[in-house]
Amino acid sequence: MNWIQRRIRPEQVRELSLLLLIILAVLLFGSMIDGYYTSRTFNRIASSVAVITIVAVGQTLVVLTRNIDLSVGSIVGCTAYFVGTVLGHFPDINPLMAILMAVVLGALIGAVNGALVAWGRVPSIIVTLGTLAIFRGLLVDLSNAKTVTTDSLPHWLVDLPQLRLFSLFGLDIPVLFLLAVAIVLIFQAGTGYLSLGRRFYAIGSNPDAAALIGLPIRRLVFLAFVLSGALAGLAGFVTLARFGNITVESGRGLELQVVAAVVVGGVNIFGGSGTVVGAMLGAIMIGTLEQSLYRLQISEFWRDAVLGWLILMAVASDAVILQRLRALWGRADLKYVAPAARGATSQ
Amino acid sequence: MTEPDTAYTSPIAPVRAAIPAVGRRPILETHGIAKHYDATQALDDISLALYPGEVHALLGENGAGKSTLIKIITGVVQPDRGEIILAGDRVALRSAAEAQRAGIAAIYQEPLLFPDLTVAENIFVSHQGRGVAVGWARMYREAEAILAELGVAIDVRSPARGLTLAAQQSVEIAKAISLNVRVLIMDEPTASLSAHEVTQLFRLVQGLRDQGVSILFVSHRIEEVFEIADKVTVFRDGHLISTRPRAETSPQRAIADMVGREMGLLKPRISGPRGDLLLSVRGLGREDVFQDVSFDLHRGEVLGFSGLIGAGRTDVGLALFGIEPATTGSITLSGKEIVIRSPREGMDLGIAYVSEDRRQLGLSLPMSISANITLPMLHRYLDRFGLIRQDMERATAEAFRKRLSIRTRSVDVAVAKLSGGNQQKVMLSKWLNTKPSVLILDEPTRGIDVGAKAEVHAIIAELAAEGIGIILISSDLPEVLAISDRVLVMREGRAVAIFERKDANQETVMTAAMGRSSASTGEDAA
Amino acid sequence: MSAVARLRSWEGLLLVLLVAIVAMNVLRSPYYLGVTNIANLFQLSIEKIIVALIMTLIIINGEIDLSVASVMGLSACVLAWLHQMGVPLPLAIIASLGSGLAAGLFNGFWVAYVGLPSLAVTLAGLIGFRGIARILVEDRSVGGFPSWFNTLGQQPVFGPVTASIVIFFVLFAIIAVVLHGSALGRLVYVIGNNLQAARYSGVRVKWVKMALFATSGLIAALAGLLYAARLGAVRGDMATGFELDVITMVLLGGVSIFGGSGNLIGVGLSILVILNLRNGMGLASITGNTQTSVIGALLILSVLVPNMTQVLQSRWKGRNT
Repeated sequence: MNWIQRRIRPEQVRELSLLLLIILAVLLFGSMIDGYYTSRTFNRIASSVAVITIVAVGQTLVVLTRNIDLSVGSIVGCTAYFVGTVLGHFPDINPLMAILMAVVLGALIGAVNGALVAWGRVPSIIVTLGTLAIFRGLLVDLSNAKTVTTDSLPHWLVDLPQLRLFSLFGLDIPVLFLLAVAIVLIFQAGTGYLSLGRRFYAIGSNPDAAALIGLPIRRLVFLAFVLSGALAGLAGFVTLARFGNITVESGRGLELQVVAAVVVGGVNIFGGSGTVVGAMLGAIMIGTLEQSLYRLQISEFWRDAVLGWLILMAVASDAVILQRLRALWGRADLKYVAPAARGATSQ
Repeated sequence: MTEPDTAYTSPIAPVRAAIPAVGRRPILETHGIAKHYDATQALDDISLALYPGEVHALLGENGAGKSTLIKIITGVVQPDRGEIILAGDRVALRSAAEAQRAGIAAIYQEPLLFPDLTVAENIFVSHQGRGVAVGWARMYREAEAILAELGVAIDVRSPARGLTLAAQQSVEIAKAISLNVRVLIMDEPTASLSAHEVTQLFRLVQGLRDQGVSILFVSHRIEEVFEIADKVTVFRDGHLISTRPRAETSPQRAIADMVGREMGLLKPRISGPRGDLLLSVRGLGREDVFQDVSFDLHRGEVLGFSGLIGAGRTDVGLALFGIEPATTGSITLSGKEIVIRSPREGMDLGIAYVSEDRRQLGLSLPMSISANITLPMLHRYLDRFGLIRQDMERATAEAFRKRLSIRTRSVDVAVAKLSGGNQQKVMLSKWLNTKPSVLILDEPTRGIDVGAKAEVHAIIAELAAEGIGIILISSDLPEVLAISDRVLVMREGRAVAIFERKDANQETVMTAAMGRSSASTGEDAA
Repeated sequence: MSAVARLRSWEGLLLVLLVAIVAMNVLRSPYYLGVTNIANLFQLSIEKIIVALIMTLIIINGEIDLSVASVMGLSACVLAWLHQMGVPLPLAIIASLGSGLAAGLFNGFWVAYVGLPSLAVTLAGLIGFRGIARILVEDRSVGGFPSWFNTLGQQPVFGPVTASIVIFFVLFAIIAVVLHGSALGRLVYVIGNNLQAARYSGVRVKWVKMALFATSGLIAALAGLLYAARLGAVRGDMATGFELDVITMVLLGGVSIFGGSGNLIGVGLSILVILNLRNGMGLASITGNTQTSVIGALLILSVLVPNMTQVLQSRWKGRNT
């Protein structure tokens, strides 16, 4: 037990057990469903997971700071629609430009959220409930309820979901899924290795201490929302690529799946702990459940009921089980040694 | 392993080199610092000098002004008057961050760490300019090095949440060192440590001192203070009473300075004959918070609870009322053994607890006086439809207003508008309205003016005369001595002495509270 | 400014706003202040304003219930599902009310007894209860209710005033009495204002919270039934997004999101403001979606404006001392 205790923390146990659960679920479903272990299954899961994962990364940052962003669904809809419309009129735009447009638009909306929360001191639940409605409404109005259709979009965009860069274990990995993984890795590195990234954890872990030290809490919260918006924008681009046909309803309800992914992935709703990788695992868990239930002919309408239950269980178990785990782990004590000579480098 | 530019060098070494052995100047001075809160003068004309390479102890009762001074020196609070001189320059410390940058750091009884960040991160989190990227390997190495310098080894990779209190404290000290602390304030650092850990902590402190850090050491444990301090300063009621080198003072002298005030202002209460046994507590305890507390309370008796902050007196009160129930021991009320698991049960049994923090724990500030008074007994003020009889409420409130002389325009006024003393009376009314047989008062006269204090004392006397058993938890020693029939002294979670009135005086009580038996007076350490 | 004075001026502001909106609407339509139109005004949003009444208590208590709209959908779908299976409608109605009560008790359990934050619990409920509703009705539209049901909410009782409107006013009166005159109301305020003081005073905090969430579920179920009756049909996604209007009505009414303050008069005024605003926007041919945007903006403003005035006030005070 001691060896395990030294190497792994209770919070990591949470993520590891989630990974285990995913593997178990896949094995379970594999035994119940014919032809489960195919490229097709993988693609379906990977595609839906890609969008949710990208948004969940941004949501993780926001939740780490003890906030929540319910407007991401509207942001995805707005950016998907906006970029789709622009590409429909100007199909020769550089692909990178298109992605940039989506990200910048998302970041701008995120900035509105961030400003209201950080400097307006309006609780994030209120702000994002409001902007969810405002930006969805703006989308519907400014669009005159037209739909973006696949025919209007440039070929490279329409073909993007089919693009395969390489294979792994005989499975072709869609490039959009790779994008999601890349985002996760980038932000995992960011929150793990950048001072800035660690500060998100600090302000969620102990806001009073953070204020006392002089951390720029408001600016960090603002940044979290901007990033959340930017990533939602990117997810909007991915949605556009994936579906081609974008209505003004696109993205509606997405925020609920994203929050579920984040919470199931072990990010604490009180802030301060949880990782971006965990959020991705949460998204994978939910995506796998969804696709597998569908294959089992269980009506898609079970999805939300299951999702709601998952969120509740995740939050409840975090509150209760994590506490027990921590008690089990005990407290690391200090050892007294002879004071080292000053100026010595420790090897 | 040869990276000379990234090799760890102690941040303290340069300080040590720069201090000449002779003719040292103070690193921090305060001149004429004063601060008041509402009606109370928390500090008055404090002029103090801290020298590098010296452990300066600060002694004083609860409420003497020690924590206010600490808050001023660490930039959390601004003084009304006076100045702070740091290394010869006048400074204005407008925030905790500024004080930290100036090299002033404080360590409290409760560590202020980030539970989810690792030990190493906690040490370096407030450093600017460590670069955009976190060099984990380097951070771990440097953290271990700083801790090694202190003579401590901790798993720097574990989150701060997973550490023992002693370990967390060491991390706090390491944090301060890493910031090139020049003045380190330690506020009750030994309160939760075992004897062994205290010895180790002192080794650490001595090491810091030898390296030229100036240490302001606040503690209630008088033996410890005299073990570690080079100078001893005593505060009393917001004034600086004395500053002496350790060699020129002694524990008795320090205690005398701490308590030496005129007793004449308070009229001692005339006790009636002792009534029947009302409450009997045996071996009461709750986890690590307090153990083995036993006492009796009689009808019409005032039992004073003395002791230092953190001694566990409030916890005993909370246990008797059911807010934080005891885990061991027995409580017998009027001959029947009882178990109290919630405030509701406590109330039904006739016990009432008037909490010490009236704003946070006691009153609902936007609500009216009458609404606050009737809250615990609201079910007695309903008509047959379940609606509140506001006329009955007002009548009750008016009755208490007269009885306790609550100064207010009307009983419909929001409690937030009342003065501290009157708020206290509303709290008292609320609990008297529950017609208790046992009344526990926790710091009932804290922060209220002299006139109101006298009134509250008179009320307590009346209540005792009516046969109520009163437990008076108070840090105001003259108050306790004037009113109580007996005084129970708690220290570090245990009841260490019970004095009859004739045996209780400031020195005996203080000595018991601080941990020296008065028998072994010891020689003056001269 | 004291809490009382601030509240008075907030209600004054709402009154001014109301008069301005009504004036603009009257200019647009001369029949605006006619009894029929006023009754219609209420009728169109009757379900939301009924739920806003109980939401007021919950927010004053320091909690929030995001699942109300989903419970509305759930109760309507339970009704439809049972009806389709041939269960006599009166029984189905009772069962549907029961499902709302159960949902409320479920929420209350996790918040009051396990101690989870109501934001997370009711967010899970928002998703979960909607999910159950959709399992029952899938993506069909279920209708075919007997005519007495369909006219249930729309049956004029006296003049053009329907039964639903009567229910609203009766409920308004009951909740006003409970909130401002009963012991429960007093406890709701105290718990929202100072949870610790309430606990220390022997208040049964868990019981109060449980009661509030259970009532919220029950009333949401009632609203769901009235909505189904008014539409004449039930869909799995009906009443989606209603929580936005409901919460806005409460917060715009001067109830603090942090709990402990606010009153039903303010909420009553803000309900009138929002009803007239939505109606006025309809008259100006503003689409439903845009209307929702405006409500969203109102929601944010109702918290932002007091915050900013407080910040500005303390800055002004700081400069003048």
